[in-house]
This record gives sequence, structure tokens and C-alpha cells, in this order.
Amino acid sequence: MTTQTQTMEHAHHRKVLRYSVGPRIVHWMMALSFLLLLFTGMVIFLPFLSHYASGGNSRLLHRIGAVIYMSIPVIYLFVDRKALKELLWDSFHYDRDDMKWLAHVYRYFMGHAAEMPPQGRLNAGQKLHHAGVVIFSAFIVISGLILWFGKGYMGPINLGIAAIFHDVSMLVLTVLLVGHLYFTFVYKALSGMTSGYIEEEDALLEHPKWVEELPAEEPWVVEEA
Amino acid sequence: MTDYAFLLDLGRCIGCEACVAACKTGNELPTDLQFIQISEKSTGTFPDVTSLVLNHRCFHCTNAACVEVCPTGALYKEDGLTRLNREACSGCSYCVDACPFGVPQIYDGFSSKCDGCAEVVKAGGTPWCVKTCPNHALMYDTRENILAAAQNRLEALKGRYPDARIYGETEAGGLGMIVVMPDKPEAFDLPENPEPAFVIKAWQDLVQPVSAALTGLSIVVTGALAIIARRNHMQELARFEEDLAQREVAEATAGDSSQETTAEKEEV
Repeated sequence: MTTQTQTMEHAHHRKVLRYSVGPRIVHWMMALSFLLLLFTGMVIFLPFLSHYASGGNSRLLHRIGAVIYMSIPVIYLFVDRKALKELLWDSFHYDRDDMKWLAHVYRYFMGHAAEMPPQGRLNAGQKLHHAGVVIFSAFIVISGLILWFGKGYMGPINLGIAAIFHDVSMLVLTVLLVGHLYFTFVYKALSGMTSGYIEEEDALLEHPKWVEELPAEEPWVVEEA
Repeated sequence: MTDYAFLLDLGRCIGCEACVAACKTGNELPTDLQFIQISEKSTGTFPDVTSLVLNHRCFHCTNAACVEVCPTGALYKEDGLTRLNREACSGCSYCVDACPFGVPQIYDGFSSKCDGCAEVVKAGGTPWCVKTCPNHALMYDTRENILAAAQNRLEALKGRYPDARIYGETEAGGLGMIVVMPDKPEAFDLPENPEPAFVIKAWQDLVQPVSAALTGLSIVVTGALAIIARRNHMQELARFEEDLAQREVAEATAGDSSQETTAEKEEV
């Protein structure tokens, strides 16, 4: 009897390292610069907010946010080169389980992870999310640079095309953000990006293939009293 | 609301630049800013020369690209003319790029262009350029009267200039600057079709509203489903934790010998 209780408690207090400090710093820099860009862009997008744009201060803030956002890949490279490589590789490689997972994404969307095909460190949805962020960040950065440096010289056609790319990329990235917040809430995943650790049960349920490969020692797995 | 308009008779303009000076002094513009530019365009060699006087100024489009792209409402239509409230301007330059006539400019950080002498006409006066023109090439009146006057001027010109026409009756939804011209628009460096570019319209009328709507929709849908999905997940997580615990208990009680447990694990 004593053994049983001990084992149960034991299972409940093991945590696994989801994100080390480097990726966490990069994540929050990206999040803050994106939100700054989103709100300073929104003031010239939604007419009822337009009085905040008058005078041009929002443009200055938007450009500061843009410089931070554009430097994220470089910062990531310096902070944790291995993690960046892994993220990019994982986001563009899908195995058979991933394809099956995507075919049943509706179930995952509704909070049912249990019967989904087993996933590695990133589930197929997270991979798609990251791939989308990479691709549409490239679009939004290029069109943004055109709007920035072509300002006043580019004429109606270039303005229209660059603005359409900028707005569509903004739409995609914002919807990805909304989805990101949604899944963070549904799967109570925030701690992975704050303390860096998540409960072992959560990891076993959603990323069994990853937990299998994880070294069973600190700092990857920690026992908590 | 009655629409007002200007008449610009290029058959009468002598390029004296009195309008330029009156506009600058009347509107108290800085020395390096003008809302009208007069230039002469000569082609051929004397005595076989064609000389035309070009007027570069705001044409006050009804379908104004500048108004369409302006994110702050600093540019707006009023009484058929395109007004500008520099206080509201953010200096984004969209108007500079979008205008088919290349009219708005960023001056001192903000957009600047002819606003049809809004203050003067609201006080019952005549726009500075019109008031000063010595050869009656400029008029200001209701759009209806201006169109009638333009028709009369055109009749008088047609005998001498077969290509003479009125420009601005329908172009870009109708201009607030009705131009009587003795030659084709291109001879005066004016676009045949000054409608806002297709991509500008697609951006403003399609991409922007659809983007805003889809973003809003994603927030509404996820907001509504978040509670249900989270409850589902919490339930499955409880079941999963129970299973895990039971499995561990089973493993622990199946036999105290660690060998058996290892064998079992390998099988799994």
C-alpha cells in the first residue's frame, strides 16, 4: 500500500523541460514585438482607431517593432543555434503519424488529444503553425520593407501590391496567433514558455515519441517534492 | 449638398502663373511649397512649334484614390472637392503613392495639397487662383453651372481645335476640376483614365474588409469553443492520469522483482 501511494505521487510530480531559457527569451521577444506591430498597425487598419495614428508616432513604434521582429532569427542564431535548426527542420518535415494527425485535427481542436496518432516534440499542428509563421513573416517583412523604403516613390501599383501582401500576411499571422492562444489555453500549455517545464502527464499524452527520446535526468526531467 | 467645381480652360490659360502666386500668398504657403505648378511644353522647331501650357494641380476626383487609401480620414470629400485636415494626417504617404496625378506631397511630415480654398469659400469668397486669373481660364461655381460653362467654351474651341474636349465630366467618377482642353489629355501629360489603380481598389474594398472580418471570426469561433475544448481536455487528462497511475500500480504489484518489470516494458 505504501509503495502504491508513493508511485502515484511520484508520477504526479515529475516535470519535463519543454523549452530551455534561450528559446523562451526569443519567444517572448517575438511575442512582444509582434503585439507592438499588431497594435500600431491596427490603428491605420481599423477606422475607429485612426486618431491614434494621427501625428505619426504609431509609425515610429511600428518601425521599432519591425526592427526587433526582423532581428529575431539572428538573435535566435546567437542564443541557441541548435534549437533554431531543430525548429526549422521539424516545421518542414512531416511523417506518416503527422499526416494522420492532421487528418483528425478536428478532434485535437476540440480538446481530444488522447486518440490522436503519437506525436514527437512538435505535433503536426505546431509544425504547420511554425512553418506558417516562417513563410508569412518573410512575406510581411519583404512587403513591409517595400512600404517603408518605397514610401512616396513607389506609385499606386507597387503600393497596392505591397499593401495587399502585408495585409494578407497580417491576417494569416494574426489568425495563427489566435489559434496559438487557443491551444495554449485548451491544453494549459503556458508553463512551457514561462518556467520552461510542463507536467510529465501532459507530455506523455501529447508528445509520447518525444518523451521516449528525452534523457531521464536533470535538467530534462525533474522530480518535485 | 450641392457639389461645387472648378473650371480650368486650357484654351485660355496663358501660363502667367498669377494663380500660382495668388495660391501661395493667399494660403500663406512656405516658399518651398506650391499647390499649382505651371509649365510650358514645346515640341518641334521654330517656326513649326506646338506650345502648350500644363497645369499640375489637384483635380479633386470623385473616386479619389487619396481619400480611399487615407487611413485616418485626413483626406475627405466635401461639396464635391477633396479636403485635407493636416491635424488628422499620420504622414503615411499612401496618398502620395496612390494619386494618379502625383498631387499630394509630404511637407513637414504631413500630406499637403490644394483643398479648394475650403476656408475662403466657406466664408463666401472665391478661391485665390480663380480670383486672380486675368484671362478667365479659371472659374468656380456649382458643378452643374461649371459643366454648362465648359460646354459653351468647348463649342467655341471646336472650330479651331478638332481634338478639343472636356476632361473630368466622368473621369474618376467625375472631377471637381472640369478641364476644357484644345488637345488630347496626353498632350497635357494627363492620364486618359485617372481611376484609382485596380490593386488599390482591391486592397481597400476587398483585402482590408475580408482580413478584418476573418480575424474577427477566428476570435469569435475560438473564444466560443475554448471553454468546451478545455473541459474535454481536462476530462481526458484526468482519465489519462488515472490510467497512468493504475499502470504504475500494476507494474509495481505485478512482482517485486525488477527483472519482470523490465521484461514487461520491453514487450510494450
